[in-house]
Amino acid sequence: MKLSRRKFCQVAGTGLLVASPLVRALGQSPSTLTAREVVARIKKNVGVPWFTPTADDFKIGDPDAPITGITTTFMSTLDVLQRSAAAGNNFVITHEPTFWSAADVVSDLREDPLYNYKLNFLEKNKMVVWRFHDHWHAHRPADGIFTGWNKAMGWESYASPGANPFSHEYVIPETSFEDLARDMQKKLNTHSMRLVGDPKLRVTKVAHAGHYIQQCMQVLANVDVVLVFECREWEAAEYVRDAIASGQKKALIQLPHEGGEEAGMDECARWMKTFVTEVPIKFIPSGDPFWMPT
Amino acid sequence: MITSQQLIERIQKNVGVPWQSQQSDGFSDGILFGSPEATVTGIVTTWTPTLDVLRKAVSSAKNVIICRQAPSYSRGERAPVAWRNAPAPSKEMLDKDPVWETKQDFISKNNLLIIRFCDNWDARRTDGQLRGLAKALGWKKFHLAQSAKDGYEPRNVYFRLPATSLNNLAEGIKKKLNIQGFRVIGKPESSIAKVALTHGLLLVADAEQILREPGVDAIVTGDAVEWEAAPYFQDVVAAGKAKGLILLGDEASEEPGSGEVADWLKGFVTEVPIEWIPAGDPFWVLS
Repeated sequence: MKLSRRKFCQVAGTGLLVASPLVRALGQSPSTLTAREVVARIKKNVGVPWFTPTADDFKIGDPDAPITGITTTFMSTLDVLQRSAAAGNNFVITHEPTFWSAADVVSDLREDPLYNYKLNFLEKNKMVVWRFHDHWHAHRPADGIFTGWNKAMGWESYASPGANPFSHEYVIPETSFEDLARDMQKKLNTHSMRLVGDPKLRVTKVAHAGHYIQQCMQVLANVDVVLVFECREWEAAEYVRDAIASGQKKALIQLPHEGGEEAGMDECARWMKTFVTEVPIKFIPSGDPFWMPT
Repeated sequence: MITSQQLIERIQKNVGVPWQSQQSDGFSDGILFGSPEATVTGIVTTWTPTLDVLRKAVSSAKNVIICRQAPSYSRGERAPVAWRNAPAPSKEMLDKDPVWETKQDFISKNNLLIIRFCDNWDARRTDGQLRGLAKALGWKKFHLAQSAKDGYEPRNVYFRLPATSLNNLAEGIKKKLNIQGFRVIGKPESSIAKVALTHGLLLVADAEQILREPGVDAIVTGDAVEWEAAPYFQDVVAAGKAKGLILLGDEASEEPGSGEVADWLKGFVTEVPIEWIPAGDPFWVLS
């Protein structure tokens, strides 16, 4: 019996594909594809030579064991790992760290009960985690994270390269700052957006300003609105607050980190489906971690 | 009459810890702008010297600003990577920046003195930042103080509140501090009683240490790095080890401490008026 792709995905989605009697009953031999083989294909398709040093590496698990399915996600939180296991995907490709530091340093965490809890979950479910950060940004022809973000916003045709690799600029149809923020909140599915500037300000030029104060200084002069995420609160927000106090007509949107980059891992799942067909691939959003009281 | 140099010396004499001023790798405590010989006309304390705070200082005829954050939007190179997130802007970049130029002009035209006072204040036996925040929240009576004397020694951060939901707790705090940029991790309906209160940026090591105390339901703090303590806390909640993380914002969590600095200064500087001018929450949010 040949399984249609649709049926295959439905079965995989229920997590039943890992149950070998069912696989046998359906006449489908389990895939022998390993995480290491998937990564080799990513390296072949990413469009730039693989470079070191890089954070993009295996963080846990056996790269040579057969995988049952692939999850792409922004952040491999415990919740995402649980949902991934429930979906039958034991290979997780994450943009951000698993163990709460840029380099996933675990030497200081050995005694931490939470680290051990997460580690046990990963080991019990035979999961493999691989980080895909530096090279997904470096992907050519275009940074995969921004490709996904532009699609989520519907801003592909407004985009042009900015003053630095992380400062894509956009000329959008003129709107008020508040309406722009509302539109963005909806399209990016965030609920912890924080704003600096006059809600009624008319805006048309918008740019990403990365995480750092230098990037914000580079781009603010050319645009009405800067978009930042994951920066320290004494940097961009205070800089734009002073810009406004000095008479400049500017505004800032501070997104949760997910709001700035999560759509890029949805894009990653779409991209990987063009060269990995043996196992199901699913984007599982970690989502905006925050809510705000009313 | 008191000069800015005399003011610094008086602060050093009263701070109660050996003065640290030579940090080779960035902004240190002391005069960032202005002359040591200048006469002090009045003192403003604040979390960060925004242009708005500087204008308020000038209009109330005060020329000294004592702050935690440097005026040029960076902590410099002094802090560990997780704290600073980025190197300070270079001098070349700052020199041609229009916002910084306006601010610098305002500082020099009005002969303002900017004095950074952070590391030495934090090195004191009493955590003035914590005491200020606890007072602002009205939580003094809930403090699980371990010493009868003062109780705000560093790490003495636990409070037992009347049990309430995480959502009610968050709404109450937001109203009390009058802030907007306020973020929460955890289930809104979770019941919260024992809370750890800290200020500024929460690191993973801090969270880990705080949660070693049994029965802590939530941590209330300023800010968290979104690939470090924030996802750590998402996992803490998913693993059922605690229920909530409330991020007040860095300014909101640190600002009441500037009020404490003002009160403390009044104990040994009597020649000039001293006023705490909060920078205020920089953010607004969609309703």
